[in-house]
Amino acid sequence: MSNENMNEQAVAENPTAASLEDFEPSENVAAPEAAADNMLDFDDDPLSATGVSRKSLVIFFLIDTSGSMKGKKMGELNTVMEELIPEIRRVGEADTEVKVAVLTFSTEVRWMYSTPIPIEDFEWARLRASGVTSMGAAFKELNQRMSRNSFLNSPSLSFAPVIFLMTDGYPSDDYKEGLKELQNNSWYKFGLKAALGIGQEANDNILAEFTGSKDTVVHAYSGGQLAQMIKIIAVTSSQIGSKSMTLSDDTGHELGEEDVFAAKQKLLGQQIQELVTSQTDENDVPFDTGW
Amino acid sequence: MFNGFSKSVMGASHEKTGLVCQDSSAFKVGDGYAIAVVADGHGSKKHFRSHLGSQFAVEAAIEAIDRFYEEREELERNLPTNAKLIIKNIEKQVISNWNIKVEKHIAENPVTAEEKSKFTAEEFEAIPQESYYGSTLVAAVAGKDYTFGLQIGDGSLVAIFEDGKAVMPMEYNESAPANVTASMCNSNAATMFSSFYVPNKRLIAMFGSTDGLYTSFGSEFDFLDYHSIITSQLVNLESFKKVIINNLTKRSHFGTEDDISLSCVYDEELLTEKLPVLNAQVENNKKRAAERKAALLKKQVELE
Repeated sequence: MSNENMNEQAVAENPTAASLEDFEPSENVAAPEAAADNMLDFDDDPLSATGVSRKSLVIFFLIDTSGSMKGKKMGELNTVMEELIPEIRRVGEADTEVKVAVLTFSTEVRWMYSTPIPIEDFEWARLRASGVTSMGAAFKELNQRMSRNSFLNSPSLSFAPVIFLMTDGYPSDDYKEGLKELQNNSWYKFGLKAALGIGQEANDNILAEFTGSKDTVVHAYSGGQLAQMIKIIAVTSSQIGSKSMTLSDDTGHELGEEDVFAAKQKLLGQQIQELVTSQTDENDVPFDTGW
Repeated sequence: MFNGFSKSVMGASHEKTGLVCQDSSAFKVGDGYAIAVVADGHGSKKHFRSHLGSQFAVEAAIEAIDRFYEEREELERNLPTNAKLIIKNIEKQVISNWNIKVEKHIAENPVTAEEKSKFTAEEFEAIPQESYYGSTLVAAVAGKDYTFGLQIGDGSLVAIFEDGKAVMPMEYNESAPANVTASMCNSNAATMFSSFYVPNKRLIAMFGSTDGLYTSFGSEFDFLDYHSIITSQLVNLESFKKVIINNLTKRSHFGTEDDISLSCVYDEELLTEKLPVLNAQVENNKKRAAERKAALLKKQVELE
């Protein structure tokens, strides 16, 4: 038989009769249940040099560090983010590895680290505020990085990202152009999006354009509220984001990924609104007092 | 002389839901060549016989490749100038073999009332028969001084040539639509393969693995380093097999909980000869992993 000239017809007419007796089918091995704990401590395993990664989720924080954030807002934000890290760490403890990526935007856009960092290793760098609000540039930068070829290149990546925007003012660049680019990004489309407006100047309509729904936009007018809202949004969205939702409904029909995404985004909106309405502190001093 | 091994371990998620292992794997050492194959049955509702589909895929691939090696001299004479066409023909033969196996199985084992009970009549009618058996396939072939491979759907193929570095040589078929997982059961399956051919290069070892292995790693570097470590230990294959099974089982339990298959073929003589190179590579990989970790933790924003 000439391999070179073998055509489609020849393939169809020549079902192979080669003997399978001389190849070795592998044995299928079921994991012994009782051995599960021991397996973690397999000391002689030279392969343990390359660790086992759990399912992973990336949380993106987009943080406005423009001049208007200076003072109380930035100070409170730095403090609450430092406190938040251990709380997010607990979310991931069960069976998800949470990674964090922080993009700051003012006159320039900058990532806190050059790549998403596992929450166990993450250390908050206290941010400084100055310059204008280049939100459109931040959207463009996020769009570039939310790719399998960039920040989302981990083989163990299992969940759509969580994207959390915090800002206190109106964008100083063409945010619509940046948002348009971002809206074509599949990770953005399937990601869980939430936004927090800080102080009087933040425009909730722009934030709703970013998240796709008013339910996932909240507002903080004081330091106390800022701390509460950041925690509510970050913890709730990472909990929902790292949830393996069933791909079939009650009737046994299989659901597509789009349905799972829609269900998660709706759940996030509901939970944020429920938690927000239950949190008030009348003694809190508004940001804009004395500004 | 080639040697090899293959293992499939069941994922924790399938144990929990009472599913059987959907993966299959095998290797074969022939006269002057060796084949490593893995297949991953889709496992979702409409692919209710995909554990058999993956088995048929592994058998179909080995049978097809064996058939081309019945005239090894002619095959090896033609490969350097006609690799693409020959591999394309092997792919067609694999699909043809698989379809024959599926048809035979379904003729001998008609769909049961229980299998049908999960669908409405209309839903069931809409599923093509081959879909019951849907599976991916990765097949790697090592010859004396050349290597080739073919793949449909998810999975990975890693090769370690004589320089000791682990590489993924597959040239991915960009015409396969990104949002559709290519499968043996697609009506145009023969056009959805990716493949590669590397001439004039001696191969130490080559591995095929199902997606569950790749997704149990945090980075592609770790995934490649893992293959380097395994290769450096193959000189003691019998004693090392237990370690591999343990590690795969651990990964299927603590990673993405998917089934995992790994199949490997290697050149025993070249492995022994290149052992110092492989060991040096493993040490170098460790150093580079530590450097990457250090670079990762460097902050780059303006601080307070």
